[in-house]
Amino acid sequence: MIPGLSNLNFRRHGYVPLLCIIVLTLLLIIALFPEQIAPYAQNKRFLPYMDPDNAHLLGTDDMGYDILTLLVYATRISLTIGFFAGGLSLLIGTATGILSGYLRGWVDDMIMGITDITLIIPKIPAIILIAAYVRPGIWILILVLGLLSWETTARVVRAKTMQISNAGFIMSARCLGFPSRSIIIQEIIPVIYPVILPKFMLTIAGAMISEASLSFLGLSDPMMESWGKMISDAFTHGGFIREMWWWFLPPTLCICISVLAVTRLGMMYETDEQEIVSE
Amino acid sequence: MRPFLQGSIFLFRKLIRYSCSFGIIVLLVFLLPRMMPGDPVANLVGEDIYLTDETKETLRAALGLDSPLHEQFVLYSIHLLHLDLGYSYHMHGAVSDILADRAGWTLLYIGISIIIGTCTGIYLGARAGFEHETWWSSLISSLALIISSTPPYLLSLIAMVIFVYHLGWFPFKGFYDTFHILSIIHHLTLPVLILSVFYAARNVLIMRGTVLSEKIQLYPLFARSLGIPERRILIRHIRKNAIIPLIALIALDFGFLFSGALFIEIVFSLNGMGSLMYDAILNRDYPVLTGTFLVIAIFVICANFIADILSLALDPRTRSHP
Amino acid sequence: MIIMKSFSKKRWTLVILTVAILACCCLPVMAEEKTLRIATTNEVKSPAFIGDYTLGLFNHISNPPLMQMNDKGELIGLLADRYEVSQDNTEWTFIIKGNQFWSDGTPVTADDVAYSIQMYGTSVPNAGWIGETLTDTQVDGDKVTFRFNKPYTNIALEFTSYSILPKHIWESIENPNEYTSTGPYVGAGPFYIDNVDLNSGKVIFRQNPGWKGKTPAYDTVEISWFKNEDAAAKALESGIMDTYWKYAASYPYAAIASLQKTGDFEVLEKPTSGMTFLGFNLKKEPMSDIAFRDAISNAINYQELVDISTLGHGKIPEKGFVPPAMDGYVRSTPMEYNPDTARNKLEKAGYIDSDKNGIVEGKDGDDIILNLLIRNSYAREAELVKEYLEKVGIGVEVRSVEDNTWFELKDKLEYDITLTRTTPWGMLMHAGWATGYFDSRRTGQGVLHTVDDEAFLTLCDNILGTTDRTLLTGYAKEVQKYYAENLPGIPLYWKNDITPYNKEITGWYSNPLYGIMNEFTFTGVKPAT
Repeated sequence: MIPGLSNLNFRRHGYVPLLCIIVLTLLLIIALFPEQIAPYAQNKRFLPYMDPDNAHLLGTDDMGYDILTLLVYATRISLTIGFFAGGLSLLIGTATGILSGYLRGWVDDMIMGITDITLIIPKIPAIILIAAYVRPGIWILILVLGLLSWETTARVVRAKTMQISNAGFIMSARCLGFPSRSIIIQEIIPVIYPVILPKFMLTIAGAMISEASLSFLGLSDPMMESWGKMISDAFTHGGFIREMWWWFLPPTLCICISVLAVTRLGMMYETDEQEIVSE
Repeated sequence: MRPFLQGSIFLFRKLIRYSCSFGIIVLLVFLLPRMMPGDPVANLVGEDIYLTDETKETLRAALGLDSPLHEQFVLYSIHLLHLDLGYSYHMHGAVSDILADRAGWTLLYIGISIIIGTCTGIYLGARAGFEHETWWSSLISSLALIISSTPPYLLSLIAMVIFVYHLGWFPFKGFYDTFHILSIIHHLTLPVLILSVFYAARNVLIMRGTVLSEKIQLYPLFARSLGIPERRILIRHIRKNAIIPLIALIALDFGFLFSGALFIEIVFSLNGMGSLMYDAILNRDYPVLTGTFLVIAIFVICANFIADILSLALDPRTRSHP
Repeated sequence: MIIMKSFSKKRWTLVILTVAILACCCLPVMAEEKTLRIATTNEVKSPAFIGDYTLGLFNHISNPPLMQMNDKGELIGLLADRYEVSQDNTEWTFIIKGNQFWSDGTPVTADDVAYSIQMYGTSVPNAGWIGETLTDTQVDGDKVTFRFNKPYTNIALEFTSYSILPKHIWESIENPNEYTSTGPYVGAGPFYIDNVDLNSGKVIFRQNPGWKGKTPAYDTVEISWFKNEDAAAKALESGIMDTYWKYAASYPYAAIASLQKTGDFEVLEKPTSGMTFLGFNLKKEPMSDIAFRDAISNAINYQELVDISTLGHGKIPEKGFVPPAMDGYVRSTPMEYNPDTARNKLEKAGYIDSDKNGIVEGKDGDDIILNLLIRNSYAREAELVKEYLEKVGIGVEVRSVEDNTWFELKDKLEYDITLTRTTPWGMLMHAGWATGYFDSRRTGQGVLHTVDDEAFLTLCDNILGTTDRTLLTGYAKEVQKYYAENLPGIPLYWKNDITPYNKEITGWYSNPLYGIMNEFTFTGVKPAT
């Protein structure tokens, strides 16, 4: 029942989805083959704080690294963090939200209780605590970012699920004896999809930005060069004071473009299911 | 009679759940700061100062850290029952006084931002969702997306450079220059504007999503067939339903009101709750940390409770059934 | 509905006009006051005159301590005229200058000094050493004599940091360290603290009516603190601030270029004794091997570190560790960058890469992979050090943690090498010349306390026990010789502190400890007109 590419109706959506696919493919290629695309090797240093010129299209940073090279090599890390952390957060959030909203009763109370507590755990002390005992690495970061951001998705999904789980079509599906699992997948998810989609986009963007904020506060792994780290480096090492917009704007644009591409693609599926829902 | 019984069972169950959560939270906010590595006593003095062991012991006793953990917890619980949040040696004041002072300002600038952001977000999001095939709907959603993908401090610093440094319209820092209403408004306009933009962006996206999912239901079609004008359908019928998932988020916004907005406070040098908590974390100031987390937890729980009641009131479909 | 709309429109215009007029009338009248504006990133967290760290730095202006440093780093009197020390270094007598008055009109007496120092000893944690060593205080006219239970060469130096308080105001306060008030505070300096306003982020000083010294050209001084350096730098550039000051730190080097582009500013550049260095865990192999440390000292590209970390406002350090900015500095051989020499030294010392995987092995046969533990602010330099060491065959794993975590792990010696810094005060502490950082008997937040070598510890004790200048100069030479031969820490670069100021204002005076935050500046600065 997952809508396939056959739904890529150009007359309806225009050429925007094609553009998105092209952009995403480009990003994927850059992430997989940075050595071929970047102009210089990753650890080659030049004169610091150089303005953009022919040799360095985006100039150099405070240590003399070519910024374009940094940008290219950061693609893999940022995309991994963004999508995996966002995906993890979405998965947990949706699953708990649907379970909670559909099953109700004491299951709902218990799950929501856990959600409340996770929600209230202050993020920065938790991260400091974790960082003290565990060596930072990309997967730990993904785990932490994913585990600390699913609560709002859960709440939103639960609210929506509770709204429609009393609807006629659900009732009739239950009467007909469909197992809960198929009801959830076939009936509920398509309806809550337009609500999940913006949350998914927000969590991907949120994960990339949280990573940037953590770098800014000094809590992320400083050896892991991501777009977010480039932005925070630009700010903490004089890129902002010297108005070196070519240092901090490109990574920001990259984050925006990645998120925009995924979301526009996802928006395509929003009202394709012209399910007429009966009350 | 039956709805009343249903309603009160519902509330009673909720109360139990919230009390359990609260109990666990009281334990958690006590333990978490103390589990972090680092010594609060060492943070009472500067980096270069040498403290002899005797001084350290005296300070440790003054902070109440010399007794075993469970004794500290009992003491803390007893103080809590008297509504006493303790005394902070790092901030030289009673925790409740410190919180009250900072919380007032935080309430001001964040409260206003949430209200502006919510109203704008809901209105724009609803319109964008309802007329989602127009060009400006795509524009608004893309704009909201771009804003949500930008790190908050980036936007704030850029806004500061443009509006404060280059144009000189607003001041660089602080809640005011002299304690005067115009000065306060002048100083808070830019931070509030930026925060509102962030809240609005997120609300636009979600509202648009929920309105979209409502639009394809049967009742708007029915209303249209009756000849009701489009705008009326949107405002009277769809918006009420579409807002419900968003209520959960807005309630959370209000709940987290007291945690402040750390990045705005850093960029605009505002003395709010965000910086208080951040400094307390860095200094391992246990009383302030515990007190602040507790207050925030209470507010979030209340906010969730209100959200539950509101969604119940607004949409009968969410009411419990066997 | 329609009628209401037009009605309220008229009403609204009326309301707005009224508010505007009232506001203009109520706005405070701007007096023709000359205000000096100083920007800083040291924040005042609470209005505790003694308890708050930053306020304790600012109040040196309003409540002068007994001694101060001149721009050459020599100790001269401030509230005190001069001091005398007994033969055994345990009795210190300070003679207070006459003709000094508090801002409420009462004269400054030796009683105030006696009370203040005793109060610090009993009530203030970071002056706990006074409480433990001060046995007796005697007041005699304008003289105060302090008797300590053991000799301590740095008493006069320590007394540059304790502000003297008026006894008649503070003796009735129960716990001075916890006392908070937004002001005004009674002071004896050229200015007194009038208002500490946390919500607008500034401390306002006003001219002291009782001040009998040189009259300052400014009526008020405002110190404004910012929570982030970019905002402070931009505020300075825009001209609303006259200068920038940060305790024991320089104006960010990266911001100097754009500041000078505005053409309105000049900079004061002075070498400082604060520096960054590579520390070793001397209790573990192979860091305990001097040959290993010596090899590392040749592996580091010092010139690149100076270029990147100081942007040219620094120089390559010498083996003696102590920079020229410190009194007692002796010249020694500069650190040398030569990777081939480093590799040879490693081989000669027995560290060979037998399995040719690029990493040398230690005495136990395992690859040497050093755990480099740093605070987050040293990430850039750590990246470079890792690269340099890996080039000569020493593996490095960087672990970056938050400040407090670093203090704890460092004290537990859970690291192989680390990057950290000295501050000007830290260089003077203990027996001076950075001994405070290495002496294993002295623990504290920023110190490494890794050296327990008898020769070093005795040297420290000797220094602490005398105030004889010639002896001390000789000891300073010995300390630097020890550093050069034993390399307990490898200096990475020496640097200069930059203080920018509005070039229309003249009369700035800077000392190595507190920069421009001294009495000479505050009484000497003059606006151009």
